[in-house]
Amino acid sequence: MSLRISGLTKSFDGVPALRGVDLHVAAGQVHALLGHNGAGKSTLIKCLGGAYPPDAGTIEVNGATFGRLTPRESISAGVAIIFQTLSVVEPLTVAENIFLGQEWTRWGLVHQRAQEAVAAELLARVGASCAPRDRVGDLPMGQRQLVEIAKALSRSASVLVLDEPTAALSGTESDALAARVDDLRTQGLAVVYITHLLAEVERLADAVTVLRDGRVTHHSPMSGHTRQRLVDAIAGPGGAPARSRRRTPPPGPPKLAVEALAGPGFGPVSLRVAQGEIVALYGLIGSGRTRLLETLFGSRRRTAGSVLLNGRPLTASRPAAALAAGLALVPADRRAQGLFAGLSAQDNALLPSVARLARHGLRDRRAERRLFSGVARALGVRPFAPALPVAKFSGGNQQKLMLGRWVNEARRTEVLLLDDPTQGVDAGSRTELYHAVRGVADRDGVAVLFASADPEEVVALADRCLVMARGRVIRELTGPRLTEAALLSMVHDAGGVR
Amino acid sequence: MAALDAPAAPTHGRSRTAAGFALALRQPLLPVLIVLALVFQAGSGSFLTQTNLRGIATDAATIAIVAAPLALLVISGYLDLSVGSTLALGGLVAGWLAAEQHQSLPVCVAGALLAGAAVGAVNAILCCYLGLSPFIVTLGMLTAVRGLDQQLFPLPLSNFGAGFAWLGGARLAGVAVPVVLAVLALAAAAAFLALTAGGRYVFAIGVNREAAYLSGINIRRTPVALFVVTAMAAALAGAIKASVLDSAAAGTGGVGFELAVLTAVLLGGVALTGGVGSVLGVTLGVLFLGALQNGLTLLSVPTFYQQMAQGVALIVGAALAYLRKGNPA
Repeated sequence: MSLRISGLTKSFDGVPALRGVDLHVAAGQVHALLGHNGAGKSTLIKCLGGAYPPDAGTIEVNGATFGRLTPRESISAGVAIIFQTLSVVEPLTVAENIFLGQEWTRWGLVHQRAQEAVAAELLARVGASCAPRDRVGDLPMGQRQLVEIAKALSRSASVLVLDEPTAALSGTESDALAARVDDLRTQGLAVVYITHLLAEVERLADAVTVLRDGRVTHHSPMSGHTRQRLVDAIAGPGGAPARSRRRTPPPGPPKLAVEALAGPGFGPVSLRVAQGEIVALYGLIGSGRTRLLETLFGSRRRTAGSVLLNGRPLTASRPAAALAAGLALVPADRRAQGLFAGLSAQDNALLPSVARLARHGLRDRRAERRLFSGVARALGVRPFAPALPVAKFSGGNQQKLMLGRWVNEARRTEVLLLDDPTQGVDAGSRTELYHAVRGVADRDGVAVLFASADPEEVVALADRCLVMARGRVIRELTGPRLTEAALLSMVHDAGGVR
Repeated sequence: MAALDAPAAPTHGRSRTAAGFALALRQPLLPVLIVLALVFQAGSGSFLTQTNLRGIATDAATIAIVAAPLALLVISGYLDLSVGSTLALGGLVAGWLAAEQHQSLPVCVAGALLAGAAVGAVNAILCCYLGLSPFIVTLGMLTAVRGLDQQLFPLPLSNFGAGFAWLGGARLAGVAVPVVLAVLALAAAAAFLALTAGGRYVFAIGVNREAAYLSGINIRRTPVALFVVTAMAAALAGAIKASVLDSAAAGTGGVGFELAVLTAVLLGGVALTGGVGSVLGVTLGVLFLGALQNGLTLLSVPTFYQQMAQGVALIVGAALAYLRKGNPA
């Protein structure tokens, strides 16, 4: 047995993320790890990599047993984790990346030629077509990933963890990777393969473990599996019930009407969102959902198509223009694109509206405070602390402040675009956030279009769902047909993304 | 976070002592300045006299006039290193108008401001519209404008006349004109930060330019204006110095001034990375530097030790700010 995790338990601030997880991966096996976002997959991997110390349980790698690992111990025990966001250094060559931190030296100088010779062998072993002297920044994603795997092999890793390795790859690159993973299996590595794509599981895995809410809900060898059993294990008994009511699209003209919109990497896409309606764009990373939202918002160039907002054409080429017309976007990467870290909660919620409240060029502090109180109450922002730096709020409450930035009395936001609205929001606060979004649609009549890769989220929040793959809407699900099982099999049908 | 502008923090409902304590926490320079004053008073016996304090204020005035807009520029995530050469340019233009064109004081000052605005506009276009690094652009402009100064005014200027002397020498209600201008500059900067929407944008742009852009905020207008105003302030400071000295020289005017101003701004708690700072802090930074120099002179400490003290003060100040930020308690 190459990797044996037993009874692993981990909580964050009293919120359990792992509740006694077991995972056994034999040498020469590919073991698929499945589960929703927030099911505990990343926490498990981070405990294995030494990023988090577990609260209880043991990790056994090649016979050595650990209660907790440091990142260095994890590497020297033989664990290599290839994260979705690769950790290659772009300006360096392939060989330099492979030997980064463990350079071969001769008389105090890096022995380039010896490194390159070994790098060439490793690259051949992982089936990479790049050369040791290529600059990693010039390589496509698939090759970069293989460089990382080669780096892991150079450290004689025996346990390889691949975190959604095909998410950023093209179809052909994904096929090539599958063949490489097969090779690594025959070379005797223990491979943990995290994915959302059931087709990949069926093609590659020898065994499968499904996590849900920090527990193992399913564990078995791959043989004799049906897809339905896996879907049930991921979604829970009978699938998660819809937490909010399903609505029929309200009558009347749509708030947002998109006709054949296209831009680099997506389209043409046509869709409609009515007043008070919540529509999901469901698709994996690379399916074009973010590009579509950003193009609607004007932060990305459109190449064709038209957008009608309340029946009037919207030709927004800048976010400021879209916002002025009543269309707002809450971006997925809250830290990089949304929050003003260090500024107060009130500043974060009201900054774009301060000028609208001002009188004779001077800020109206009383009106600002009143507006913030209204926003905080309507969306349930906790704690109610206008002057508290926004970084001290939980992810869910930060996201509520982002909603409040665009939905408040000083603005007339009619269409709200949300990109991955619960990214970095813990499982417990999600329901609350859904409630807040629901309120924005019901109470304020805002048309909401949100992008998500999480079937559970789509079912919980959306009135209607558009499934996206390869930059287009491939299917629409409404009413009773909108279930987690249907969505999970859709992603499978979509196959390799992009 | 501790150095955010004071008015945003709630102070109502607290006792005056608690408010004072909170102020000391937000402005660690304040108790340091008080201790420094007491030490200098004890050592020299003449530090806390009206004449000496007036002297400090007058010396610090030109720094304060430039530090006020520069602080806002740095909070918004930019930087201007070219103010030393711009100061010289302002003094030369104003002095030339006074000595050789025999113009009235308002015309001389207007000429200096115009010259400053031109330099600021070049900085703004290169940094805000072409997206070049403010450090590189304004470092280049520091040298280039110095060359321009010497090209335009190869010979030192002097004998500006009685009218021009008013700017640096006169008193309004007992307060020197440069000090009045410095107080106005600081008050304007504080009011802008606290009372206008633009003041909020300064912080927003400094903290996260992309988020500001995606929030529909015009991320160019405010920094462009601040570049122009900072350079105009530097030129005004140059005119004041020319008036005080009754001379202006292209080779020596304002040499090292940019570093003195930046030292005051950073000592005042403004983060070079943007997004953090307050005008009160910068005021204290200016006063601290002025008091340090003046007090050490009173104690007959040689100039090179004074320079060392200023440098060490900046590093210690930065280290303390870093420790405070790094320590979540």
